[in-house]
Amino acid sequence: MVEMANLGKGERHMNRTLWTCGSVLAMSIVLIGMPGCSKKSVQSGGDSQSTQGAAKGGTDSSKSGVGNFPDTGVQSGGGGLRGLDKNPSEERLGSGTTQGKMDSSSSAGRQMEEIRAEQAASAAAGLRDVFFSYDSWVISEEGRQSLSHDAEWMKSNPNALIKVEGHCDERGTVAYNFVLGEKRAKAARNYLVELGVAANRLSVVSYGKERPSCNEHAESCYQQNRRGRILIKSGK
Amino acid sequence: MTRVKLISAWFGGLLLIAAAVGILESGAADVFLEATRPDFQKISLGVAEIENAGGPNWLAGRIEEILKNDVRRSLVFDLVDLPGLGIQTSGIRNGKGAGSKAVFKQAAEKGVSVLVWGTVGMKEAGEQADVSMEGFVYDSGSDEVVGGKRYAGSPSVVRQMAHRFADELVFRYTGEPGIARTKIAYVAQQGTARELFVMDYDGYDTRQLTADGFLDLMPQWSPDRRFLIFTAYRNRNTQDIDMIELATGKRWTVISFGGLNITPTLSPDGNFLAFASSYEGNSEIYRLDTRTKAIQRLTVNPSGDLSPSWSPNGRELVFVSDRGGGPQLFLMSSDGSNVRRLTFEGDYNAAPVWSPRGNWIAYVCRTHREYKLCIISPDGQKRTQLTTGPGVDDSPSWSPDGRHLAFSSTADGKSQIYMIDADGKGKERLTFQGTHNSAPSWSPAW
Repeated sequence: MVEMANLGKGERHMNRTLWTCGSVLAMSIVLIGMPGCSKKSVQSGGDSQSTQGAAKGGTDSSKSGVGNFPDTGVQSGGGGLRGLDKNPSEERLGSGTTQGKMDSSSSAGRQMEEIRAEQAASAAAGLRDVFFSYDSWVISEEGRQSLSHDAEWMKSNPNALIKVEGHCDERGTVAYNFVLGEKRAKAARNYLVELGVAANRLSVVSYGKERPSCNEHAESCYQQNRRGRILIKSGK
Repeated sequence: MTRVKLISAWFGGLLLIAAAVGILESGAADVFLEATRPDFQKISLGVAEIENAGGPNWLAGRIEEILKNDVRRSLVFDLVDLPGLGIQTSGIRNGKGAGSKAVFKQAAEKGVSVLVWGTVGMKEAGEQADVSMEGFVYDSGSDEVVGGKRYAGSPSVVRQMAHRFADELVFRYTGEPGIARTKIAYVAQQGTARELFVMDYDGYDTRQLTADGFLDLMPQWSPDRRFLIFTAYRNRNTQDIDMIELATGKRWTVISFGGLNITPTLSPDGNFLAFASSYEGNSEIYRLDTRTKAIQRLTVNPSGDLSPSWSPNGRELVFVSDRGGGPQLFLMSSDGSNVRRLTFEGDYNAAPVWSPRGNWIAYVCRTHREYKLCIISPDGQKRTQLTTGPGVDDSPSWSPDGRHLAFSSTADGKSQIYMIDADGKGKERLTFQGTHNSAPSWSPAW
């Protein structure tokens, strides 16, 4: 498909001005038409959104861990359609499915193996997982017993770092299950801290419903997946 | 009409405003606005035969099938059965002469507004075969052949030829670019890993984008369609937000804060990224200025806040919060002010997505322990449940014309991807391979 070349700065500014004009139009329902907007000169780089209203959490422009963003604004309309023509000339279509090589350079591929190694070590140490009710991150009586057992092991193995994985069953949304999984992992971690395990030995990670240990649509299976998995952490 | 086209091109998502402005300035905008209304009268369109002009037997039938499906899914046209109406189309040929005149007359008498026909052929050109297609359009209102298109390319773009012609038809009669060339990004299981894929909007021409061997999740398109932004695990302990460029496969990390880093979504103008992160404790929504990299926290409370979705004009966000117990939808201005709750029905409402026209928010609602799709108007006055029956429906995503939603569902057992009309009709399954396909994201218009 036809890719537009990057527009120059001036044109981008113009787009932004038009956008602002659109918002003003939307607000004021007084539809006088476009000429009023086109008279406006190009605005400065500051945007109205970040300067108006109360910034509740404040801004932090020095936060590390932010990568680079390309310009992703919409640069063209019409989608390259040329309209019907009484004497149509030939349009040659390029393969829309060409692509660069797939990125498989990530070290993530080794993760499954390393997870299996962590699980084996944790099983050998006799660590017990904690299971949760539907929609819940409350630690049950049975869960407290499992965690008490785990805490004893942790106290007698003071050099071991511990990771709590939060998992969910397949019900509910992908997104909210990440939050639910984190709540479960943190509930388990907090209880271990209450039992006297040093907080700096404990980390949490949520997998939501993306790594189920069981794939059937049945409560017995869902129960297995609503889990706080207690693992001896290896590596970073 | 030119004015309307220009305005819609500039404003992208602000289609309603464009139409409203246009209606004062040009009568031609009537068509444009009508097509957005539920009582919009569809234009009856018949696809006459696609003639085989030298090539394999399957080719003409394939083009005809794709074109008919595109026309049907456009919801702009009412696809009529020409033989069923007793209209013999074999005389059309090149659209000239007495034979075609007779067909046109028949069509007009039977109330068919638009007739479409064409030819397709394939010939060997050196090592590679070359396909050429012609399509033509007769309009009974003006009683003339209003025009046509000619396409050429390799056999791998046969589907694109039909899609492109279908979009030209939609463009001709509505001024909108159509959705036949749009794509859907999604997540598919590969062994124990979950990777990103892209397919055509009709489920064909699937291609794999990532091959991590671990977890790449919840892709969303950039407004210019060149990138996907998504949640990825850098390793088994760390979740990041990454971007990938579709044309090159180039990939990099844009957010690595620690904790949850989920539900990223770029503003319609591409200038802001909204996402949820728990790096300061619990999951909160942040807004990042993609040019200055200044980051602003938009939500402040001890509960989980996530899943922001921009209004088409970028001034508001709908999001999920469990500050009242279960997850519910809330609205706020894009600076985090003016927060108000949107949903009150049921104890689980999540995964909201604002429609491209701004008039609906689709989301996952729980009723009788089943997770289904609902839509609600941004003022909370109108609410409708779109899907019923067993299974978990999740991750609704609007088509750019606002007439369809893609979503995942376990209704047939494993999680697969479906599309449905915005009125809850026309449910269609799009994926059939594999054990798990989820998190569809419909691309902006092509």
